[in-house]
Amino acid sequence: MGIKIADFEMKNPIIAASGTFGYADEYEDFCDVSQIGAIATKGITLEPRLGNEGDRIFETDCGMINRIGLENIGIERFIEEKIPILKKKNITYILNAAGSTLEDYAQLASIANKAGIEAIELNVSCPNVKSGCLEFGVDSNSLHELVLRVRKNYDGCLIVKLTPNVTSIESLALAVEKAGADAISAINTLKGLGIKIDYINGKFYKKEVQGGLSGKCIKPVALAMVKRIRSAVKLPIIGMGGISGLSDLFEFISAGADAFEVGTHNFTQCDACVSLALELEEFMRENKFSTFKDLKTAIKEIN
Amino acid sequence: MKKIKKGTVEKIEKIAQDTYALEISSDVKEAHAGQFISILCPPKTLRRPFSIKGFKDGKIQVFFRLKGEGTNYIKSLKVGDSVDFMGALGTGFNIENKKSLLVGAGIGIAPMLFLKDELNSKGIENFLITGFKAQNEVIQGSDKTVVGGSVIDYLDEIIKEFKPQVIYSCGPEIVLKLVNQKALEHNIDAFVAMEKVFACQVGVCRGCVIKVKKDGKVQNATICHDGPVFKSSEVVWE
Ligand SMILES: Cc1cc2nc3c(=O)[nH]c(=O)nc-3n(C[C@H](O)[C@H](O)[C@H](O)COP(=O)(O)OP(=O)(O)OC[C@H]3O[C@@H](n4cnc5c(N)ncnc54)[C@H](O)[C@@H]3O)c2cc1C
Ligand SMILES: Cc1cc2nc3c(=O)[nH]c(=O)nc-3n(C[C@H](O)[C@H](O)[C@H](O)COP(=O)(O)O)c2cc1C
Ligand code: FES
Repeated sequence: MGIKIADFEMKNPIIAASGTFGYADEYEDFCDVSQIGAIATKGITLEPRLGNEGDRIFETDCGMINRIGLENIGIERFIEEKIPILKKKNITYILNAAGSTLEDYAQLASIANKAGIEAIELNVSCPNVKSGCLEFGVDSNSLHELVLRVRKNYDGCLIVKLTPNVTSIESLALAVEKAGADAISAINTLKGLGIKIDYINGKFYKKEVQGGLSGKCIKPVALAMVKRIRSAVKLPIIGMGGISGLSDLFEFISAGADAFEVGTHNFTQCDACVSLALELEEFMRENKFSTFKDLKTAIKEIN
Repeated sequence: MKKIKKGTVEKIEKIAQDTYALEISSDVKEAHAGQFISILCPPKTLRRPFSIKGFKDGKIQVFFRLKGEGTNYIKSLKVGDSVDFMGALGTGFNIENKKSLLVGAGIGIAPMLFLKDELNSKGIENFLITGFKAQNEVIQGSDKTVVGGSVIDYLDEIIKEFKPQVIYSCGPEIVLKLVNQKALEHNIDAFVAMEKVFACQVGVCRGCVIKVKKDGKVQNATICHDGPVFKSSEVVWE
């Protein structure tokens, strides 16, 4: 079941998506984290961030909207406090990195390189932060330049995470490939607006949260985006958006994915990633697929 | 001990208007007042948190008020049905050997009743006052019940007579904020159980943060993991 992207090895293709699993070891009371292929950390910036004010979570039909605003402990504390724990516990992780300028990303990359971090996922598409990363995620020229800069400073496995909030995801994927990244992950959250209006004792009350939509409701969009990316590039694709069960994995494989991230479903079932990895393993064993590649091939050959 | 559990409904009964008591049997070993459990309510994406009202031999009690789809799902459960929950979660009340005043508003009585049990079992003197909007919403078990008015209006008098050394409270934020003011006026420490919409329930998503003052600095704290109980004078009230 193991897979490899560039030199980065994972024991299975299931990754916990950034922002839904903390810095990785926090879910220990709930599942055996070391059984998960890899954990993408919460988006990490050069300096610590406190995130957005006000309500941050809004549940929708079959999903949720978040506007956390990249609250995180900053790269320095991550390296000092979290990496030793992750190493000790044998947890494979991917650093999800975010910045607001080209320079931020370049600096993060060289810090990660020095610290021996084996894989980074560039978040160039956070919809909850006013300036910065979103700009890179929507313009293929700036994205190309950004990935080139990061590539220069970083020797490990470089994954670029794309936003679906664009008109041509193909040209962004191409820019990423040309600049020398090792893989593409997609999709980040969709822009959404949650409004709830209550009428109590003759008076209206409103709750409004604008942010990133995730969960089961975004799966069809995610599948479409993965398929479009696959049509444009040869790079490995880590697919995500509404994954919760084994059949979702098959659908993402069919669209062109080579690995998977599970996000919002961790909130519904906190042991979702481990369960999914075990389910996939059992399916492959029972049905005599000796490698994950065989399974992918079989699904891609369905006509 | 893994904190994701399958329990079984032991009891579910109406205790007041739109309000129910649920008892779940489980293999949970430990739970304290102020902690909560988070119940999966299919097909909802997010779990619903409920304060623990009582705990003995793995049996967990909660009180819930009907609000929307989640609580209506729980109401539809029957004795013997399976319940998927996480818990006990969060940081509860830190019990001290001090004369304690407990203030509950509405469904916020639930953790106060649990706290009262814990204080009683340690022989710590306590007084519980609770407030409800209407008679048909009243939940029993308090030393004084206020119907219609605000519990806050009674605090000066009770503090003068009962002379508490510490105050504990749970209820709507507006009530907790006023409890904090009263505690400051009377120079007594107060600890309050806060509430917000949760996503992860365990401190990782940063969806439920409030601002607190600690070591002279304003910082974020998660209600689900660092709380729900906070020292009221450390909370940055909005
Ligand atoms: C730590 C904690 C302890 C709680 N303890 C209890 C308890 O003992 N008894 C009880 O009846 N309720 C308790 N609640 C509130 C309870 O979780 C919500 O009422 C419940 O989630 C509503 O779900 P619903 O699907 O029925 O309603 P929804 O349709 O989801 O919501 C109805 C209304 O409640 C609000 N709401 C939804 N989720 C929450 C939430 N997590 N916190 C606050 N407001 C929310 C919504 O904004 C909306 O206005 C607690 C909440 C927290 C955070
Ligand atoms: C609460 C929350 C926080 C998130 N934070 C980040 C983040 O810091 N960096 C990032 O690249 N993506 C972040 N995401 C996006 C997810 O990693 C994922 O791309 C998206 O949620 C779609 O997958 P899902 O439907 O399985 O959740 C976050 C998502 C959620 C729900
Ligand atoms: S609900 Fe995720 S941090 Fe509290």
